[in-house]
Amino acid sequence: MSTDPLLRHDDLQEAVPRQRFLLEDTGFDEVPPKYRRFYRKWRGPGDALAANEVICPVCKVVIRSTRELRPGDRVYCMPCMSRLVVVRAEDGGLEARVAY
Amino acid sequence: MERGTRDEAADVHALEPEAFLEEVHSFEFWFQSVQGYLAGLSFGHRPDVHGAPLAPDERERLVTVLCNYCVGETAALEGASGLVAIAPNRLTKVFLATQVADEGRHLEVLLHRLAELGIPAPESEIERRASRSLLHFKRRLRELVESRDWEAAIFAQNVILEAMEFTVFQSHARTADLVTREVLQGIVKDERRHIGFGENELGRRLQASPHIRARIGEVKKELDHWVLESFEETLREIGVPNEERPELGRSYLEVVARLGFA
Repeated sequence: MSTDPLLRHDDLQEAVPRQRFLLEDTGFDEVPPKYRRFYRKWRGPGDALAANEVICPVCKVVIRSTRELRPGDRVYCMPCMSRLVVVRAEDGGLEARVAY
Repeated sequence: MERGTRDEAADVHALEPEAFLEEVHSFEFWFQSVQGYLAGLSFGHRPDVHGAPLAPDERERLVTVLCNYCVGETAALEGASGLVAIAPNRLTKVFLATQVADEGRHLEVLLHRLAELGIPAPESEIERRASRSLLHFKRRLRELVESRDWEAAIFAQNVILEAMEFTVFQSHARTADLVTREVLQGIVKDERRHIGFGENELGRRLQASPHIRARIGEVKKELDHWVLESFEETLREIGVPNEERPELGRSYLEVVARLGFA
């Protein structure tokens, strides 16, 4: 049994099922090939985050998940080696906070 | 975006924290990462890429900026190699060994770029053009490493210096000639690991030993002035408009704020 306080929610126990996403390689080349689909570059002001994405506050790379993200989820930013937790931002969207 | 099946075994976010840390600090992770963006390059840029000739004043400013980048990279190379000896565990030692390789590469590609710009003896040119504030910072970083102060040295090197380089190189790459841009973009990809290592390592240390916060705060107070002065000098040389400079400085301030030093 893990003692990690940022355990992922069990999808089956959630009232509203999560949307699932098939991730494809977007050309992000800063991590080993098997992890590349979990990251993409932020394309600037015209870019938008999908329901399965958050921006890493440390290195500004977009982190992607195979499922819709919700507050309390744990995600990892491999390019900058950060462990993050998803929280609800003031504007109602999702953002990631570093969990040292 | 379409629905699909989930490959649980390959989901990076499903890793246990210990497994994640073991993975990202490994030499294997580093090797496969840099292979992705350095394979096929020669001295940090595609061999068939050639920049347009620079006007004399542009070249002069670029040489000064590159000389100071070399000072920063030399500081990081000496700092990271010294820190391997005092790193508290295997993961941090191995990570710092990869950082030493990165910093050595950065210095080499920047020196090579200076040679491409027609500087016959880059070392003496660096000595002549080096910023006083950056040299002071380099000296203090070396003292912190020599005093075996792990937290203070990591703060100075992987938080302050790396955050400044990450921001400046990204900004400079947007306006630089094609060759310099490719060289800087490759360095920025390495810097992501270095800034992340610094912030996360220090963040964990501060959580486990809150009493070190006061000492790090003193180091920050002492070094802020030199870093920000050097930051201003470089941004001026690369032609960043005054109105954009506070925005760039904010990246550094965000890091120290996350660590609780705002």
